[in-house]
Amino acid sequence: MTAATLEPSSALDRRIDAIARERRTTRRSRLASLAVALALVLGTVYAIVIKDTDWARLTWQSVATSLARFAEFDTSALPGLVDPAIDTALMATLASFLGLFLALPVAWLGARNITPLGRASYVFGRGLMTLSRSVHEIVWALIFVSAVGLGVLAGILAMAVRSVGFISKVIAEAIEDVQPGPIEAIRAVGGTKFQILWYGIVPQVLPVVLGTVIFEWDINIRRSTIMGLVGAGGLGLVLFREMARSNYGGIATVLAAVLALIIVGEFVSHYARKAII
Amino acid sequence: MSNIALEVRDLCAGYGDRQILKNVSFTVSPDDFFAIIGPSGAGKSTLIRCVNRLVEPTGGSVRLNGEEILDIGQRALRLARRNIGMIFQEFNLIERLSVLDNVLAGRLGHTGTTRSLFRMFRREDIAQALTLLDRVGLTDHVHKRADRLSGGQRQRVGIARALMQNPRLLLVDEPTSALDPKIAREVMGLIREVARERRIPVLCNIHDVKLALDFCSHIIGLQDGVKKFEGRPADLNEKAMHDIYALEVL
Repeated sequence: MTAATLEPSSALDRRIDAIARERRTTRRSRLASLAVALALVLGTVYAIVIKDTDWARLTWQSVATSLARFAEFDTSALPGLVDPAIDTALMATLASFLGLFLALPVAWLGARNITPLGRASYVFGRGLMTLSRSVHEIVWALIFVSAVGLGVLAGILAMAVRSVGFISKVIAEAIEDVQPGPIEAIRAVGGTKFQILWYGIVPQVLPVVLGTVIFEWDINIRRSTIMGLVGAGGLGLVLFREMARSNYGGIATVLAAVLALIIVGEFVSHYARKAII
Repeated sequence: MSNIALEVRDLCAGYGDRQILKNVSFTVSPDDFFAIIGPSGAGKSTLIRCVNRLVEPTGGSVRLNGEEILDIGQRALRLARRNIGMIFQEFNLIERLSVLDNVLAGRLGHTGTTRSLFRMFRREDIAQALTLLDRVGLTDHVHKRADRLSGGQRQRVGIARALMQNPRLLLVDEPTSALDPKIAREVMGLIREVARERRIPVLCNIHDVKLALDFCSHIIGLQDGVKKFEGRPADLNEKAMHDIYALEVL
């Protein structure tokens, strides 16, 4: 059956040879780039990890005993964690909503297909996204502490501003990928620019927006744990108190509380997504 | 060897208490080109997908060249699927790969993991892929990305991929509904020709009755999961049409 369809012709042979040659070249160049990447990784590991580590101090035993200190949960800290956990959840929620609120106009500016003033506003929008993401949340927190003083407000503002970059980038990219069909339809019925946005684009990107905000909320719960550094309260403050006391069991307990909070958030977001999307 | 390629007996499918196929039976000989017609939601697509178990039937029997498909394990099913080519409504090509790689994908059932990983297809597979691409008229498009082709060309890639399996049965799911009428006739003609050349029986869902009459040797009419008609195109009279499409007439 195959033999009948495969007539040994020199022309066919030449074509196969050409394909085989090309595939070999592709494979070789891929392998070469893989080798280069591997060499870079190994080189980097050698330069910044192997040379930089104090190997004399590092034994299996020292690592094990240090880690074991965290395993002794300090359950006495538990009752005092309920209120801070609620504070943390509320802070993360507020920061995420504020972040979304700020991200919407940034996404509008930074989406190539709907940006209002062409290249200028596009570059401005993308610049805001990069600015938000390139500054660490702790640095944002220090900036806002100097602006509004120590406390929860500085922490929320820092997390919100840090959230803008990721949320707006994902939304802008979703806007750039929308199906043109619905937009064409709204234009065809004589819709205004706002109507095109509201009927043609928003329904298409809404699932992405909600999914991203929920994901960012999860990240903000973790971020809020280090916002204790600027006196932002919540679990972060407890974490820093336990750290200051070198109470490793207490640190582990706070971290377990953070984990529990994120698991609860995971359930909430699962059902929220199902309900809304 | 018997003259029956595919034997479907009392095939049932559905989920929950919703029955999609109700005791459908028919037999296909090696030279047959079966069309399955019927209104939307009649279970045409489910019927085809039950044959290679992309949809799990809830009862009955499907025998390909005498071998039962329904009660076999995952590994045996994979081996059985290698012998069943499938052509899809939306072509289901891997858009970012070249036309050639898409056709070679038809050999994946016979290609080991290492070879697949580095796309090291055998020389005879590449030869067969090129020959098939010549056969379906895509000689000049071998190295293009699949997403650069027109609808008719993409379906030709789909046909070549299915033939690459050297299948003993072709399942064809609405091959023309994404194509314009002229191209649709070309594609149906091509499927009929290549199936005849290789004596591959064909089971083809098609909502366009005219195309079914013009290109197929047998017709099955489904309505609401029940077989309402089976016969030659010439036997499909007014009454049979009414039986099949009665719900829509009402």
